[in-house]
Amino acid sequence: MNRVWPAVAAAALVVVAGLAASPRGALHLGIVAACALAVAALVWTVTGGVERPGGRDPQAAAAVPRSGAPPAPDVLQTAVSPAAADAGSGRAGGNTRGANGAALGLAGIVDALPVGVIALGAGGRIDVFNAAAGDIFGVSPERARGRALIEIVRNSELDRRVAATIREGARDTAAITHLTSGAERHLVVTTLPHPALGPGGVLIIVSDTTRVRELEAVRREFVSNVSHELRTPLTAVKLMVETLQSGVDKAAREQFLSSIAQETERMIALVEDLLDLARLESGKLELRLGRVDVGEVCRQAVRAQEARAQAGEVRLACELPAEGLEVTADRDKLSQVLTNLLDNALRHTPPGGNVTVRTYADGDTAVIEVADTGSGIPSTALAHIFERFYVVDPARARGRSGTGLGLAIVKHIVEAHRGSVSAESELGAGSRFICRLPRDLQIPAHGL
Amino acid sequence: MGRENFHRILDETQQNVLRMGSLVEEAIAKAVDALTRSDVALAEEILKADDYIDDLNVLIETNCLNLLALQQPMASDLRTIAAMLDIIIDLERIGDHACDIAQITKNLANEPLLRPPVDLPLMAAKAREMLREALDAFAHHDAEMAHKVPEKDDEVDRLYRRVFSELIQFMAKDPKAIGRASNLILVALYLERIADHSTNICERVVYMVEGVPKKLKRSVVEFNEFIAHSDEILSPHTEPAT
Ligand SMILES: Nc1ncnc2c1ncn2[C@@H]1O[C@H](COP(=O)(O)OP(=O)(O)O)[C@@H](O)[C@H]1O
Ligand SMILES: [Mg+2]
Repeated sequence: MNRVWPAVAAAALVVVAGLAASPRGALHLGIVAACALAVAALVWTVTGGVERPGGRDPQAAAAVPRSGAPPAPDVLQTAVSPAAADAGSGRAGGNTRGANGAALGLAGIVDALPVGVIALGAGGRIDVFNAAAGDIFGVSPERARGRALIEIVRNSELDRRVAATIREGARDTAAITHLTSGAERHLVVTTLPHPALGPGGVLIIVSDTTRVRELEAVRREFVSNVSHELRTPLTAVKLMVETLQSGVDKAAREQFLSSIAQETERMIALVEDLLDLARLESGKLELRLGRVDVGEVCRQAVRAQEARAQAGEVRLACELPAEGLEVTADRDKLSQVLTNLLDNALRHTPPGGNVTVRTYADGDTAVIEVADTGSGIPSTALAHIFERFYVVDPARARGRSGTGLGLAIVKHIVEAHRGSVSAESELGAGSRFICRLPRDLQIPAHGL
Repeated sequence: MGRENFHRILDETQQNVLRMGSLVEEAIAKAVDALTRSDVALAEEILKADDYIDDLNVLIETNCLNLLALQQPMASDLRTIAAMLDIIIDLERIGDHACDIAQITKNLANEPLLRPPVDLPLMAAKAREMLREALDAFAHHDAEMAHKVPEKDDEVDRLYRRVFSELIQFMAKDPKAIGRASNLILVALYLERIADHSTNICERVVYMVEGVPKKLKRSVVEFNEFIAHSDEILSPHTEPAT
């Protein structure tokens, strides 16, 4: 608000100077006062006006002193005097940017609402069309005022509902879709009669649920993805058990049992990923901190994946600093980070490729890199891979894990350690994941 | 009918034209959607909704004729009425094409699936954009906008040519796909026509606002053109005999 003061001070100065120069006559006083206001407006304009929504329009600011007219009526005034809500007058509400008192009133409030508000007055003309409505329907509120709704928003469903509300005098809420130049939008629209706006007055409240629906779609997709991931091994296990029950020879039994064990492991891993993520996201993760030798954790993680690397004909190597590197961390969680990164690297690297784990100290940070010479990640996808459930190519990923949780877990764990993780990749050439962890993590008493 | 009444009815009629426009716009969007998702129920819905479009058409026409007959409208009002009488013909045709596309969706329900060429949805988006802008130009009496819309017709024609040749090649490679591919060619043709009708609407808007009749640029794709060039279109995929 401190920008107001120069304006007020300037106005006061002009008034004082004016009085001193020509003390005679009310006429002079009037002119002086007008000048004072004009100067005030000018200063206001130059200093950018008061910083509040709707207060930045210099023309509107200047209009007050120039005309000396009372503030334009706001929504409230329109509402209490229907006669004033003349068709086409279009002066009420809706993005009222006037720097007068009214803007701080109801019109300003309506304009600041996050839901679209449209009021139709006499003759079905738009009286109020707030900024949110403008965003939703892609029209400027200035253009909308005083027009018929169908001229501004071509949506047959909305048109029908408004007509029904006028006809039946009843309030109604419905979900409708709206075509825009981009994708279609999903809206929830409430129409209610509002006689105060004149005969046939209608209030329309619109909320945009497009984003919510997108999130719902993500959730639905995830549930179906997880169900699929669980059902596949479950079906296999069920078939194998049934076969075992019907009696098979010893060799086949051995084979079945080991397959069952493998499938079960896979399901447990998936369920654990899910539980981990749920814990991580609800903030209930407890880090059991201790001094951990990063090199040791890497060696173990690499050893655990060696057989798999050999089977996939991938060279798996470890480059560790000779002097050893310690961090304060949760050992199990750190090894999970490495397991997830190695799992991805091996899965996306074709035979003959390399996967390399490298750790080194960088000042008071410990860096762990997992690099591969695999398929790489398209640059458009790179920004999203750490999001939960994100899978670059769902069709291809349906193989082993493919739920898109691995990297989300990595990110959570690393950030819980006050570290950061990033990825670099070139399509067809390979990827590199880089984790940076503080070497001496200090956890405040109340935990993370 | 007093002067005031005249203007009220004129206003209402203009709004009805936009109402009809919104129904037609939505019908096309749904028709294309139903086609890409093979949604027969949605296609049926479009066919049913067409009755309402026709009702509006009749209502608008009656009102326009009444306005003409009972009053002697002044020049600019006269042009608006004349323009509306033309515009609803174009809108009606566009609505029919939406129904044609819906009918094709129904016909194809039992045909083997064929992925439509990627350019087909692009073409649909472009044609819809032209219609939307034409109607916006009418709603706001915006001649400047009406002048710009027909420029997009070239893009629609270009896409049409690509879709056409792609589908022809498809049929040449796999005779089993002929049923489906030829139906998709019809869809492309309807979309191309929708773009042309949108151009017509823009011409009427320009006339309504500026008072001078004007033919805006438009290129009609001739079917024969492709028959003449079909060898050329097919050649890339005629494999050399070994
Ligand atoms: N090393 C890598 N090389 C290529 N793509 C990768 C690599 N690591 C991750 N990705 C991509 O990032 C996506 C997300 O990975 P992640 O969260 O571990 O999920 P998931 O492995 O279950 O698919 C994967 O689907 C994969 O497409
Ligand atoms: Mg993974």
